[in-house]
Amino acid sequence: MKFASWLRSWEFMLAIVLAVELIVLGIINPAFLNIENLLFSTSDFVHVIIAAIGLTLIIMTGGMDISGVSVMGMASIVCGLSYVAGAPIELAVAIALVVGFAAGSFNGTVVANTDVNPLVITLAMMFLYAGIATGLPTLLDMMGFASMGPGGFEAYQYEGISGLPKHFTWIGTGGIGWIPNPLIITIVLAAAASWLMLGTRFGRYLKLIGVSADVARYTGVPVKRTLIAVYAINGFGAAVAGLVLTAYFTSARSDLGADALLNIITAVVLGGSSIYGGQGSVLGTFLAGLALGYLRQGLLALGITSDVVPVIVGSVLIGTVALKIGMSVLNTKRANRAAYAAERMAVSGNGG
Amino acid sequence: MMKVFKSREFLVLVLLVVLILSVATVNKAVLNPITLINIVNSALFLMLIAMGQMFVVQTRGIDVSVGAIAGISAVIFGFALNAGLPLPVAMLFALLTGLVAGSINAVGVVFVGIPPIIMTLGTLGAYRGFMRVLTGGSWIESIPQSIKSLAVTRFFSVPLMVWAVAALVVVVAVLLARIKAARNFYAVGDNYDGAYLLGINVKATRFAAFALAGLFSGAAAIVFTGQIGFVPMQTGNGLELKAIAAVVLGGVSLMGGTGSIWSAVIGALFLTTVDSMMIFLKVPGSWNNAVAGAVLLAVVVFDYLIRRSVRRRQLAARAAEMRRSEIEAEGAKSMPKSANKTLQPTEASS
Repeated sequence: MKFASWLRSWEFMLAIVLAVELIVLGIINPAFLNIENLLFSTSDFVHVIIAAIGLTLIIMTGGMDISGVSVMGMASIVCGLSYVAGAPIELAVAIALVVGFAAGSFNGTVVANTDVNPLVITLAMMFLYAGIATGLPTLLDMMGFASMGPGGFEAYQYEGISGLPKHFTWIGTGGIGWIPNPLIITIVLAAAASWLMLGTRFGRYLKLIGVSADVARYTGVPVKRTLIAVYAINGFGAAVAGLVLTAYFTSARSDLGADALLNIITAVVLGGSSIYGGQGSVLGTFLAGLALGYLRQGLLALGITSDVVPVIVGSVLIGTVALKIGMSVLNTKRANRAAYAAERMAVSGNGG
Repeated sequence: MMKVFKSREFLVLVLLVVLILSVATVNKAVLNPITLINIVNSALFLMLIAMGQMFVVQTRGIDVSVGAIAGISAVIFGFALNAGLPLPVAMLFALLTGLVAGSINAVGVVFVGIPPIIMTLGTLGAYRGFMRVLTGGSWIESIPQSIKSLAVTRFFSVPLMVWAVAALVVVVAVLLARIKAARNFYAVGDNYDGAYLLGINVKATRFAAFALAGLFSGAAAIVFTGQIGFVPMQTGNGLELKAIAAVVLGGVSLMGGTGSIWSAVIGALFLTTVDSMMIFLKVPGSWNNAVAGAVLLAVVVFDYLIRRSVRRRQLAARAAEMRRSEIEAEGAKSMPKSANKTLQPTEASS
């Protein structure tokens, strides 16, 4: 019984979609199914999955955070600037992670303490963080730190910061055996988030807040603290995504990941989360992110220009949600019909 | 009249004047009329997109595809002009493109029931990709320069485009005030089920909001193309979020049911002015986004604090009222209560 319900789950469907997709792409272009190639090509898109994992937790609570794409760029440039200012790379990475965590906590604090729509708040934060990321080099110059960087920091605003140490860029480009490091980081984060959601009280709180924040409050759930924590986790995740991308491109830029928003939200929604809250799974987001990423890789390998890819991703997003709505309408109808039939049986049984 | 002064639109307008005046203390050049006219002129594109967005947000929706719609309308506009069509016909094509794109969003949201943010995020990708497919990724140049003459024509040193958009704003404002159905946008946004029970055609209202957002984005595309004389691939990139920021700044709540056409106009003017003021203060342009974000955040949080204090005062007044009436009721009740007590022994004896 439990096995049967597992077979009907959204995650299982996604796994099948992923497998079918790989097989179809492999039949069209056999070179695509090279295992090493398949594994290492994930590095192009795992930053989307990493950011989507944090967003899944937030969407569980019925919230939203679109500022993650800016936190990615901000973490990247903060790491780069700290490094050229003389900090060892380990410290630079730690500073960037703290900045991401702090940015997320700030989002969460404002969301938890006002009744303003999270979308509006994080929209403002998205502009704010993107602006800080692009403005930071000139700010450092104005504040008189110019002497610490080689000839002022302003040049880094557009060029990006390269020349990062080898053992940092290894995180993005290297791997353990056949498995690239970014994918390992993604899997570890996904497992941790999954455990948070399924194995801890915190995860239960997230779901309860998503179903009804008022009920959660009356039940004694620390709603504010939970919300701040979950937005902070998302900020941390976005910073990790930005750093992984930095290491992969071997260059710190303020606009890294800026165009990932559509892909991130598509991965979360395709993964089975409802944007109204209370429903979602990290495994689903992970599988959906893989399916989307490989779809894009496969289309490019087939010679379809990258211009068409957003058309297809957008259609997949709309199609998935339309399909889910259609399925739930059908289920309601079937349940109604069953209830009606049972009622009639009961009535006729009484009559006879 | 008091109502106008208390409105959020007025608050932002005052902030705008304060902003300009305080920058003027540092740099007098701001107060040059030509400067101010130029700021208005460069706000037109965002203003038109924000006006369309206003209808959607007012009905408790959100449309993040308006920038992409403006982009695709600009491309069609450019193609039509290059095909040798007369200007009015080309304009009609641009508006139609916007209307159709907006209606596609509307079908998904209203008839399929897809959440607006998901539907328009999907079409954002789709329209932008489609735009690149149409043009092959290159800019549309060599547009007949007759369109550009529209932008440089000035009456009383104010560009023709500014007059045109100002006239449009006034016409729309009058229409919204005169047409009864225009109130439906407020009703549907404030309480969807209530509006339905009142007999308002809620589906048609929401459909109209998304279609209007597309139409206004088409109009914005005409202004944009006229102002710069060619169609770059980035047309409208990121403007969807700026447009939402503008209407929210101007007082349209994302919970629906509030705001007016002036919210969009003033919000767009404010955001554009902030950008220009940065130049006068000699702040590097890279800080524009940070300032816009900080302003938006400050305004929505400030607005929340005002609303909370108003609500608390109302609740406190109501609590005081209740306590007073309770004390009065206590005084009135004490009689029957004692009567009851005196009755008890008689009951027991009988």
